[in-house]
Amino acid sequence: MSAAATLVPEAHAQTATSAEADAHVSYRFSEYDEDSLAPGPYFGDAQRYRVLSHQFQLATGVGSDAALNVSATHEVMSGSSPWYVAPGLDGRPIQVMSGATIRDHRTELRGSWTQGTGSSGGTTYSASYSAERDYHATAVGIEHSMPLNAALTLGFGGSFSHDLISPTDAVQFHRVQHEEKNTGSVFGSLAWIIDRSSVLQTGVQLNSEHGFLSDPYKLVTVGDELLSDLRPDTRTSAAWLVRYRHAFASPDAALHLDYRYAQDSWGVVSHTFEAAWYQSLPSRWELVPGLRYYSQQQARFYAPFFADPAAHNFYSSDYRLGTFGAISASLNLRKRIGSWEFSGGVERYHSATDYALGGADAAVPGVVSYTRVFIGLDYLLR
Amino acid sequence: MLNDFFNGKMLRAATVLILFASLGGCATTPVQPWERGRLARWDMRWDPDPLQAAMNDHTHFSKEGSNGHIGAAGGGCGCN
Repeated sequence: MSAAATLVPEAHAQTATSAEADAHVSYRFSEYDEDSLAPGPYFGDAQRYRVLSHQFQLATGVGSDAALNVSATHEVMSGSSPWYVAPGLDGRPIQVMSGATIRDHRTELRGSWTQGTGSSGGTTYSASYSAERDYHATAVGIEHSMPLNAALTLGFGGSFSHDLISPTDAVQFHRVQHEEKNTGSVFGSLAWIIDRSSVLQTGVQLNSEHGFLSDPYKLVTVGDELLSDLRPDTRTSAAWLVRYRHAFASPDAALHLDYRYAQDSWGVVSHTFEAAWYQSLPSRWELVPGLRYYSQQQARFYAPFFADPAAHNFYSSDYRLGTFGAISASLNLRKRIGSWEFSGGVERYHSATDYALGGADAAVPGVVSYTRVFIGLDYLLR
Repeated sequence: MLNDFFNGKMLRAATVLILFASLGGCATTPVQPWERGRLARWDMRWDPDPLQAAMNDHTHFSKEGSNGHIGAAGGGCGCN
């Protein structure tokens, strides 16, 4: 899977935004804190993941028709995570957690160069490198946008990522020692200026993953045995996205509506709905409440545990492959003072099998809920 | 899987929307550059705060079973 940020040249569809107008230096600090495992039965440490993140970004125009964007992210992760699920005496699944000894950090460097920043379109070349103690990912991408007429802009591109996986304590816990996976992705989009106040974008992305796609740290109860998480070594996926933006003169605000449908060869099907309201306030304040709903149907080889070893070629009890839904609400606040912009926000994310569209057939005891807070500082260079 | 996607309702819906957008883009009076003041606003961008969008994508990617967005993707992570 791909982690990350979209590197789309912004606003070609809307206007001939100059690169100079985007020049800024930015910093974000965020704290991500997962709820303790409850209320179902579990074994092990209930204190789940906590991640502290620092993000830095420099975006600037270069000459009259190019833009440079570089960013760095450093994260420190600690806590426990779901390990495997055991059947209880009453048949209910018992989530077994890893010890709270996981402590790792991740550093990511990312850069992009956009040639052509005006209304005639442009091409963006991007590269990123992400390093953890047990995971290294190198990715490159290219995307091009071109106006078809005064109202339509076509975008297309692709990316490739090569990831190396080398789990810790591999010998002690009988994990794989060195594995790799490759991910290729292509996409196309069409942005439409509907009128003076609204724009719509729709697009399709196709992904193909090959290599080691299992989770080296997770185990599965299969009959009377505990086996390693085992997934197919290929995965193809497709996603269709629609994004709509509408500006209001009174009140001075903008509405954002996003929808994504995704489907993959493992059987996972998901729907994502997002809405946000960007309300401008006097004295250059801005308030942004947002809502998000996510629902997915499980992979064909997911179950909390498996009774018959012979009935399955693949098996996983990773909660991320189970059926569940998630509802999240966020509230962000911004204040502009001269060339400085201060921001802060909070997101509350709650997931449950009951939230899934159509309900869930199998228990997913490890579903996660979390709270995330962030503060930010931006300095506009011009 | 891709056959399911391309034969499915979602592809038909996407195709209809793209055709609708294409025809709409041809049929309506074009919005002239000097009429795009509202569209040029910061809060009308697809992702007004790219750093926050990147963190949102990373978090959801780490905790959910599917992902996908319009644009080039980065590498994966060993996220648990």
